[in-house]
Amino acid sequence: MTRKTRGKRFTMIDEMEPAPKGTEYDFYFGPAHPGPGNFGVKLKIDGERVVSARADPGYLHRGFEKLMEYRTPIQNAVLSDRLCVLEPLNWNLVHAEAVDELMSIDVPERAKYIRVIMAELSRIQSHIIWYGVFSKATGFDTGFKMAFGYRDYILDLFELITGGRVYPAGYICPGGVRRDFPNGARDKILKVLDKMDEMIKLEELENPALDARAKGVGILKVKDAVRLGATGPVLRGSGMKTDVRKDEPYEIYDRLDFEVPVRKEGDAYARYMIGIEEMKQSIKIVKQALEELPEGEVIASKFKKPKVSVKMPEGDVYVRNEVARGEGAVYMVSDGNGEPYRTKIRGPDFLHMIPVLEYLLKGTQIADVPAIYWSLNICPADMDR
Amino acid sequence: MNPKEEREVEILEDIGSKFDVEGKIQRERRIWISIDNKELIKLCGWLKNQGFEHLSAISVTDWVKEGRFEVTYHLWSYKDKILLTLKTKVDREKPVIKSVISIWEESAQIHERELHELFGVKFKGNLDLSSLFLEDWHGPPPFRKDFDWREYVRDEFYDKENEREKVYYD
Repeated sequence: MTRKTRGKRFTMIDEMEPAPKGTEYDFYFGPAHPGPGNFGVKLKIDGERVVSARADPGYLHRGFEKLMEYRTPIQNAVLSDRLCVLEPLNWNLVHAEAVDELMSIDVPERAKYIRVIMAELSRIQSHIIWYGVFSKATGFDTGFKMAFGYRDYILDLFELITGGRVYPAGYICPGGVRRDFPNGARDKILKVLDKMDEMIKLEELENPALDARAKGVGILKVKDAVRLGATGPVLRGSGMKTDVRKDEPYEIYDRLDFEVPVRKEGDAYARYMIGIEEMKQSIKIVKQALEELPEGEVIASKFKKPKVSVKMPEGDVYVRNEVARGEGAVYMVSDGNGEPYRTKIRGPDFLHMIPVLEYLLKGTQIADVPAIYWSLNICPADMDR
Repeated sequence: MNPKEEREVEILEDIGSKFDVEGKIQRERRIWISIDNKELIKLCGWLKNQGFEHLSAISVTDWVKEGRFEVTYHLWSYKDKILLTLKTKVDREKPVIKSVISIWEESAQIHERELHELFGVKFKGNLDLSSLFLEDWHGPPPFRKDFDWREYVRDEFYDKENEREKVYYD
């Protein structure tokens, strides 16, 4: 099926007269579906066409912003794992950087490299899940199983280095990282990266089912993307070349050589291809960082012995990071006590799953809903917080 | 001064010449600005035309001792690669502020809807401030500093007479 015939089919449905009154019906997509997780979309359907969509979040609201007001930075580092199930290390990093900046801590060089290596590995495994659920949504079940199989190699690495397979329990903490790489970690990472190359080759195999279901579907123009607050792979899939790692380099990203993949089409397929390209770039980053990894301390002396109470000076900071799903940010206000006075967490999916999703679903066909939905690389955890 | 900060200084001076604001450069790529909430919309409209087209987040800080809410708008410019944080204060007893929905449209809408639910700040001009996360919530806005969730949970869900649950009242 070509895009042209698809476009024609759309206009045909649009030209149809509206259904007689009373034939529209509500369709609840989620919240107990195996894919979307704890999140629902209320669709109004007329025949095959989605008339309107309204996101229904809140199934995973745990109030982290409030919880953090009662806890010290060391405790919050552990809490920040849970901001996103699929990329805890990236969120660890955002939180740790906010505290570092607030307390003006000099993070040791080696810790910066380790932070970047872990964050990029986390990005790779998150993108693998993206590929998996997107395959499942477009009717390619083997892709789903493949993805979770290959993701396990990275989880093994996380277990070796942080002690936790999915949640690292605040491995990237204020001041640096909890502990140094164990013996043999470098070789193991390189071996796992070879496996990831293998995975990317599989992802790039021609898949007619995916092409037919994703090309030309859910087109997001760059102007709309900016207006709706889209960031990260979604915005890059619409043709805007932007990446927090390049625009505002944090840690050691300014010393590394990597590309920012961009595609102009703005459809579900373009976003999916951005995901694959980004995995390649992340592999490149990890290899460079491992090559240049310096010796030395991995945590600033202030945090060497984890003290429960650490005073933070008065002030406020806004820290932005490129997490796997887009722009992740923390706004932290301190009034001079041990606990942050206010923490605002800005998750990329808050915008992707509510305004962007509602906008993209409106007027599409019901069969395209899963492809659009999963092409946004969603995770309800950082939306609800 | 860092040569990279030239653009920040330029923007700050430009705003200072047109609006009555207090501003500082917090660090490279960060501008902090405070403004009276009456002039907010005018400044926001002007800023968007200057390239601050990405509304990264809106946040509210509850300064309960001062009796004020501080509303902060975090704006990112894709052109200049600078983040501008706009701070304005509203009275805690009458927390009403004009909505920026006319400037950043949908992305502002959803942030304001969230803050209305969690802090009880009303955004004048935003027509859809229905509950977002907390369905069937009848308590006070839960993220306010004077809301004690431990007390609320105890009073709402535990029974003082119950043998096992009365420990929460000790």
